[in-house]
Amino acid sequence: MSRRPLEGIRVADFCWVGAGSYATKILADHGADVIKVESSMKVDGLRLTPPFAERRAGVNRSGYFADRNSSKRSLALNLKHEASRELARRLIASSDIVANNFTPGTMERFGLGWPTVQQLNPRAIYLAMSMQGSTGPYSHHLGYGLTMGATVGLQHLTGDPDREPIGTGTNYPDHVPNPTHAAFVVLAALRHRARTGRGQYIDLAQIEPSLSVLGPSYLQWTVDHDAPTRQKNRDDNAAPHGVYPCRGERSWVAIVVEDDDAWQTLVRVLGIAPQPSWSTFAGRKADEDRLDHLLASTTSTWDLGDLVVELRQSGVLAEPVLDAQGVVEDEQLAARGHWVRLEHAEMGASTYNAWPHRMSRTPWRLGPAAPLLGEHTDEVCREVLGLSEGEIAGLRESGVLK
Amino acid sequence: MTASTSESSAAGRNQLTAGPESALAGVRVLDLTDLRGGYCGKMFAGLGASVTLVEPLDGVRSRHRAPVSQREGLDSLSFTFLYEATGKRSVAIDLEHPDGPGVLLRLAAAADILIEDRGPAYWNARNLGYEELSQANPRLVVTSMTPYGQMGPDSEREASDLLILARGGMLSLGGYSDGQPMRPPSNQAHVAGASFAAVASMMAFLAAERDGQGQYIDLSLQEAITMTLENAAHYWELEGTIRRSFGERQRQAGTGVIRCSDGYVFVLAGGIGGNRFWPNLVDWLTDEGVEDADRLAGEQWSDLSFIATEESKAIFSEVFGRFAAGKTKAELGERSQRWRVPLAPVNSPADVLDSPQLAHRAYFVDTPLPNGERSLFPGAPYQLSETPWLPSTEPAPAIGAHTETVLSSAGFDAEEIAQLRDQQVVR
Repeated sequence: MSRRPLEGIRVADFCWVGAGSYATKILADHGADVIKVESSMKVDGLRLTPPFAERRAGVNRSGYFADRNSSKRSLALNLKHEASRELARRLIASSDIVANNFTPGTMERFGLGWPTVQQLNPRAIYLAMSMQGSTGPYSHHLGYGLTMGATVGLQHLTGDPDREPIGTGTNYPDHVPNPTHAAFVVLAALRHRARTGRGQYIDLAQIEPSLSVLGPSYLQWTVDHDAPTRQKNRDDNAAPHGVYPCRGERSWVAIVVEDDDAWQTLVRVLGIAPQPSWSTFAGRKADEDRLDHLLASTTSTWDLGDLVVELRQSGVLAEPVLDAQGVVEDEQLAARGHWVRLEHAEMGASTYNAWPHRMSRTPWRLGPAAPLLGEHTDEVCREVLGLSEGEIAGLRESGVLK
Repeated sequence: MTASTSESSAAGRNQLTAGPESALAGVRVLDLTDLRGGYCGKMFAGLGASVTLVEPLDGVRSRHRAPVSQREGLDSLSFTFLYEATGKRSVAIDLEHPDGPGVLLRLAAAADILIEDRGPAYWNARNLGYEELSQANPRLVVTSMTPYGQMGPDSEREASDLLILARGGMLSLGGYSDGQPMRPPSNQAHVAGASFAAVASMMAFLAAERDGQGQYIDLSLQEAITMTLENAAHYWELEGTIRRSFGERQRQAGTGVIRCSDGYVFVLAGGIGGNRFWPNLVDWLTDEGVEDADRLAGEQWSDLSFIATEESKAIFSEVFGRFAAGKTKAELGERSQRWRVPLAPVNSPADVLDSPQLAHRAYFVDTPLPNGERSLFPGAPYQLSETPWLPSTEPAPAIGAHTETVLSSAGFDAEEIAQLRDQQVVR
């Protein structure tokens, strides 16, 4: 098998729940040895979050947790226990990256803040991913992806201008802006270290990448003093540009018409009688409410699959709005091998997201499946921390390794 | 990490321009993106790479793709271009001219990473496919961002942001309870593809720095958007249920968008980790003197099946809604955090510009515009103690503003450059 790009890199991973675990999954699936430090005394919330295999709850049964933790090892360490701190320090001493997404102060309470880590291991790259950053008046704030979406304007800018702002309905910042920016900056720091031998401290305030991906909306305000608003599904470059109902429940087609020829084609396929003024983009844009209304009343008589085939064959840009089942069964994603099945000791075979990129020479490889809580405790204690069987047994006895 | 070290190092270094202390100093990126992938090169530029936008003689399409600025002297440049191209250089080459591809190959020979979003058919037709590029430079990392990637039945299909959001599944999780899905702002399918492309390109670049060999990266924007489905695919697989949008309603009692005196807040007090924040919410409302706060107290509120009922949501709406109606979003944001309740104001960009937290972090940076004026831009997505993110000292480039510099640093002499200009191969 080919070499994965991050083989030889070790990560002491104190992350839990959302964006942090997703960021270290990127590193793990690309070959880094990610050692997830967790504890049955304060379980990673995602282990307790549905969906569960066979709908039976259990710390090793969450599909949500599993997807974010492929290719990692799990070390159960009760950080509330004084004796665990020395083990954590040994792990850090042998790691290249030390990652956490706690609120500021937590790692310091465990005696694992950056000044300590830097002394232990000046080559370490320390990634802190709190919500608002490690300093400032809001640094102690708590929140999740959904509240971050509200904080940075994503929610305000999504929806109908005449109704409530609704956002994406998901913890979007956890899945794209934060894990990608975290992985990117850590890789850049690895490059700096390769050239200088020096590690460094990275303070990634999760609201900041979440805001950075909305840059054009911000510039509309800061450069032009023109306040951006919710636009439903409309776009200044195309009309029609929207999502329209098809026959049946929750059946939607997305249609984008970028020029007048495509518009004439759409008129022909749907058999609608347009206003004369609609033959130009400006005319359609000026009358978009009526246009959308007419389209919706026509598309709603069509079967979604038939309409998409018909529009594509005629050269109109159209896609079905896929729900979760549609995405899992999508033939294009299947052809890309997007969904990877991994065998898990308790869950059996279950599905994981692969990555959006294929690398020709140093491909990622998912696996093994997400670890059981503490699955690799003995192995890590022996191989990484250099403990004897007797020492491991003693630590287990005194409640450190749980 | 203490406050003082973080602030002094970040603030002190941010004064510097790109230099030996940049993490990506010396990294040369050729940015051949046209409409979708501009954010990728921006991520490289922010950490000190030299990013060169390669444009047709009349510019890339993203320059004037609406919405565009109406500000005087900005020549109707798009906000996306202003944002993503600031910090990049521009070289203009006519790739339709018989001599154009040869110029690009020579630039590729002196580059580390080439990113593009037109797809391989376009490049193959100009003899600039991965084969030619890697012959010119075996160390080169070439990254292609296309709507559906380069294998499978839809590899040649054209798409746009909305269509990718639809086909990747993200749209199905948003929208109102009684209506259609709703698209997020600022082309998130493009940004998602571009930011994953940056990670993959960096990974491949590190490998090339180790062993001198480049590679090809095929990135699908649809797959990048599929990463946003959260647990929806797993709900379908493990429970056979389809996750839907909760839109303007509460997902469960205590989670949803709530109107207040000057807008909205998003409250996430219900259903997190065994409803661990609920007692904080009740304490908060009691402390505020909310008369019927006790309607939210009691064992049943930690029962997930109870907080899923319409009855419990209605009680929450009544009690919390009445309280919130008399407070501003800023007040609610502030007080909820004092009581450890996850709640955030639904901020507009104007609200965010006033954030004391972002002011403390100097997040928005004063940035030059092409008309000689300046404006605030979103700044560092991360603060690094040794190699900080750097704001651009130059505005978004005019078409071909750096053609001469870039060509001469790739080894073209003055005479060659003059000739290429005369023949309108470059601008």
